[in-house]
Amino acid sequence: MKTMANFPPSDGSTDGHEPRDGHERQASGVEQSDLELVRRVQRGERGAFDLLVLRYQHKVVKLVARLLRDPAEAEDVAQEAFVKAYRAINSFRGDSAFYTWLYRIAVNTARNTMASRQRRPLDYEADLNESEQSAVESRMRHGDTPEAAALSEEIHRTVNGAIEALPEDLRTAIILREVEGLSYEEIAEAMECPVGTVRSRIFRAREAIDRSLKPLLD
Amino acid sequence: MTDQIREQMSALLDGELAPGELGLLVRRMERDAELRRAFGNYVLAGESMRAPGGITASPGFATRVSAALDDGEVVPNATPARAPRAAARFKRPLAGVAVAAGAALAAVLLVRPGTDGGSLMVQRAAPPAMAGVPMPGGASPTPAQTQRLVGFLVAHGQYASPIGRRNAWSNALAADPGINVVYEAAEKR
Repeated sequence: MKTMANFPPSDGSTDGHEPRDGHERQASGVEQSDLELVRRVQRGERGAFDLLVLRYQHKVVKLVARLLRDPAEAEDVAQEAFVKAYRAINSFRGDSAFYTWLYRIAVNTARNTMASRQRRPLDYEADLNESEQSAVESRMRHGDTPEAAALSEEIHRTVNGAIEALPEDLRTAIILREVEGLSYEEIAEAMECPVGTVRSRIFRAREAIDRSLKPLLD
Repeated sequence: MTDQIREQMSALLDGELAPGELGLLVRRMERDAELRRAFGNYVLAGESMRAPGGITASPGFATRVSAALDDGEVVPNATPARAPRAAARFKRPLAGVAVAAGAALAAVLLVRPGTDGGSLMVQRAAPPAMAGVPMPGGASPTPAQTQRLVGFLVAHGQYASPIGRRNAWSNALAADPGINVVYEAAEKR
């Protein structure tokens, strides 16, 4: 049984799209789902784009924060990237995964921002001295303000607490899905239950977590 | 009913929603801010499980992006980015047709009957393949002459520009068996 203690390191190095066991099969379902949403946006359904923003907002903000020296700008630049993506949505043909396309736009937007201010991306800061590097990494890890850092830690504590309070079958299902990246079919096989049951367990686990998060974020 | 919709939302997040369920769900979520809020929390929970303590978007971020799209009246670009390349594909054969049409027009003007100058110009402009073709003044070109002239134009199109080889008009002419004979004869000379 996997517990929260076995989760990946808390340095933000994993973003859910890095290789993990079973990840490829997971990605194909998500990519297909993204593609269907994109097709709807291309047909004029703005609401479908809002869902893509909801799905990728954290990943894009995190990516941009990694590239910029000042994480306080990350949300502004990430917002600009999403606006650009929306404008260019008709040029997306599905040759790559949507998030790959979106990340490329986000990286270019961040680079343009840095170029306009004659700054360099964090990735190229080999010449930063140790203390500067440490300060930058610390800011990026914890957010740009004490409030943001506190909120981030509180969210983690709340999610962790909610998961620990779940019945074992729900806890196992949500961890196999979110942390291990297994598909519903793979989880069903691992837990020896129907796929519909897996879907229901994951949903109920998320509902429990949402009930815990809601007072914190409202 | 709400639970069923929210369960669909959860499946959508995992890429496990049946395609037939997507359309209605998107429309419901578009209308219902509470559903979007819950969906955002589903995403946030996953992010927090995978990278606890990492940077995340602030709670109102997605709403701000949506407002920016509305306020700025942002609309997707109507033309796909690769459209100009597609247009260029059509322009090249069209350019070939234009070149061939120009050559044909020039040929028609040059062989106008009853003008000595025209005959002279043809004789000057004609390649060796046309050197022996009679161009009697005051008489219309015979069918054989016309055929030979068209054959020359095809040959010209094929040698003068690779574009000409690709245009449909030249290909159609070249496909005519009678014209091919003349073209081959012209090449042999």
